[in-house]
Amino acid sequence: MLFPTLSFGLFFLVVFTVVWAANGSNEWRKILLLVASWVFYGAWDWRFVALLIGSAFLNWGSAELIWYNRDAPDGRRRAIMIAGVTGNLLILGFFKYYGFFVEQLGDVLHAAGYARDLPLMQVVLPVGISFFTFQGMSYLADVHAERLAPAKLLDVTLLMSFFPHLVAGPIVRGSDLLPQFEESPRLTRDMASMGLVLILWGLFKKAVVASELSTGLVDPVFFDPASHSRLDLIAAAYGYAVQIYCDFSAYSDMAIGIAALLGYKFPLNFNQPYRAQSLQDFWRRWHISLSSWLRDYLYIGALGGSRKGLARQCLNLMLTMLLGGLWHGAKWTFVIWGGLHGGVLALERIWDRIRSETWPRLPKVLGILITFHIVLVGWIFFRAESFDAAIAYLRGIGTVGVASDVLTPLACALILFGMAIHFTPVNLGQRLALQVRLLPAWALGLLVGITILIVDAMRFEGVAPFIYYQF
Amino acid sequence: MPQDTPSPIDLPEPELEDSGLGWAFGTIAIASIFLLFTNASSLRDWIDDQPPSQAQLQAAEYADQWVETTEGFGVGLPHKALHDQWKRAEQARFPGSHQKDGAGEGADQ
Repeated sequence: MLFPTLSFGLFFLVVFTVVWAANGSNEWRKILLLVASWVFYGAWDWRFVALLIGSAFLNWGSAELIWYNRDAPDGRRRAIMIAGVTGNLLILGFFKYYGFFVEQLGDVLHAAGYARDLPLMQVVLPVGISFFTFQGMSYLADVHAERLAPAKLLDVTLLMSFFPHLVAGPIVRGSDLLPQFEESPRLTRDMASMGLVLILWGLFKKAVVASELSTGLVDPVFFDPASHSRLDLIAAAYGYAVQIYCDFSAYSDMAIGIAALLGYKFPLNFNQPYRAQSLQDFWRRWHISLSSWLRDYLYIGALGGSRKGLARQCLNLMLTMLLGGLWHGAKWTFVIWGGLHGGVLALERIWDRIRSETWPRLPKVLGILITFHIVLVGWIFFRAESFDAAIAYLRGIGTVGVASDVLTPLACALILFGMAIHFTPVNLGQRLALQVRLLPAWALGLLVGITILIVDAMRFEGVAPFIYYQF
Repeated sequence: MPQDTPSPIDLPEPELEDSGLGWAFGTIAIASIFLLFTNASSLRDWIDDQPPSQAQLQAAEYADQWVETTEGFGVGLPHKALHDQWKRAEQARFPGSHQKDGAGEGADQ
């Protein structure tokens, strides 16, 4: 059930009505939300609802055990936390990485002269598994560090299953959402108006910009780069940068908006990432819930961050980004993408250390241009089917020939639009919501209806799945 | 929300006192009714895509009648006109473009 579809629209109308009608009892409200979330997830595959419930039990039980042993030596509590995190990693590892690692192991054994038939099997990847396992792990780490008290089973299960963020984030931490589950929420005009603005803006970015660029430009060129001109390859690379932003940020916007209409606040996940002046700045603006998760629990929490000197800090950055790349999927192209980001982040730290204060600073525009193009090269690896395909793509950009097969005025306009929205005032959406909240319901209803009608008229036939569903 | 994880839902001005629930319900209801009239074909297409059953056949029949009714009033015309304009924009090419017939069609995510 994809957000920008009529199926989801009708599902949401029912959930919105039933959940607010049950607002007198917070417990019943949460139970209804939980059932709705399972229906939403079950629309893909009912079997994996059991996995979701099992995962919630694992994290709830582990957190209870950690709390039960809160007066015991830290070693025991730490061991329980590590066991719980390992449980989450095993779930993730089996469904997401089993095939990849067995294949790599087979290649290594073959190269070493030990050809063996390894137990390869096709494992179906449950949608959103990377998101809900990361949520579970951070919940355990927070309870272990006593940043968070353990929550009731119902709340933990709802935290991990809540349908707005379930399949493609944002990664909403327990500390963000569990306190909000303690009382029946109140829907304010501010929440409703900003929620509607975000849903409509996300709908436009996904259904119009991302889908049009994907089907008309990016997919045909990345499918067969060898038969396209240099201009097409360059345009498709820029097109993909805009597509992935408009696709993923659209999902986040809609998730935040839908949660707001149900009375809950999710954290910001994107903040105009292509206006970043350095890669460190980029990661403060792109997929903020993942980058802050990796920073807090992996880079600082597990690896020690910058506490052990520059060399160790650079190594930690590289490890964090390599694992961050692998988080996206079991493919070498994601690892290379992570390695590129990790390498440049490390170089930025080294440059900061050796740079003299008397040296002139890089002009802001140049910083933005350089950062964006590093990110752009990374996207080519991220999008390509294989390492060889990515290299062939980059080589193709270096060849001659500017005749275009697929670049259209509309694609150019959408790429320019997708870049231009990064340079609008930071809180434009919030300013719009401040105006929207003053409108009477009938006027806003007509405005919402007209906007959806316009988006529907402009959308590409059908709706492609969100890019981040596969992660 | 904690300070280190700001939410876009927190607007930068003092909150309005009025409850937003009735207002949000009203807004969503008006938008739904508006779309039911102006975009009836989307609802019909969605019903047509559902697994066949007695209820689905019945619903499809009602949906067809509803589309005919709304088309009779001409309320679906703005959607159609805009869609045609968008299709023209999709088909537009740069002068001298080497566009192959059907390029981009059928490409999937």
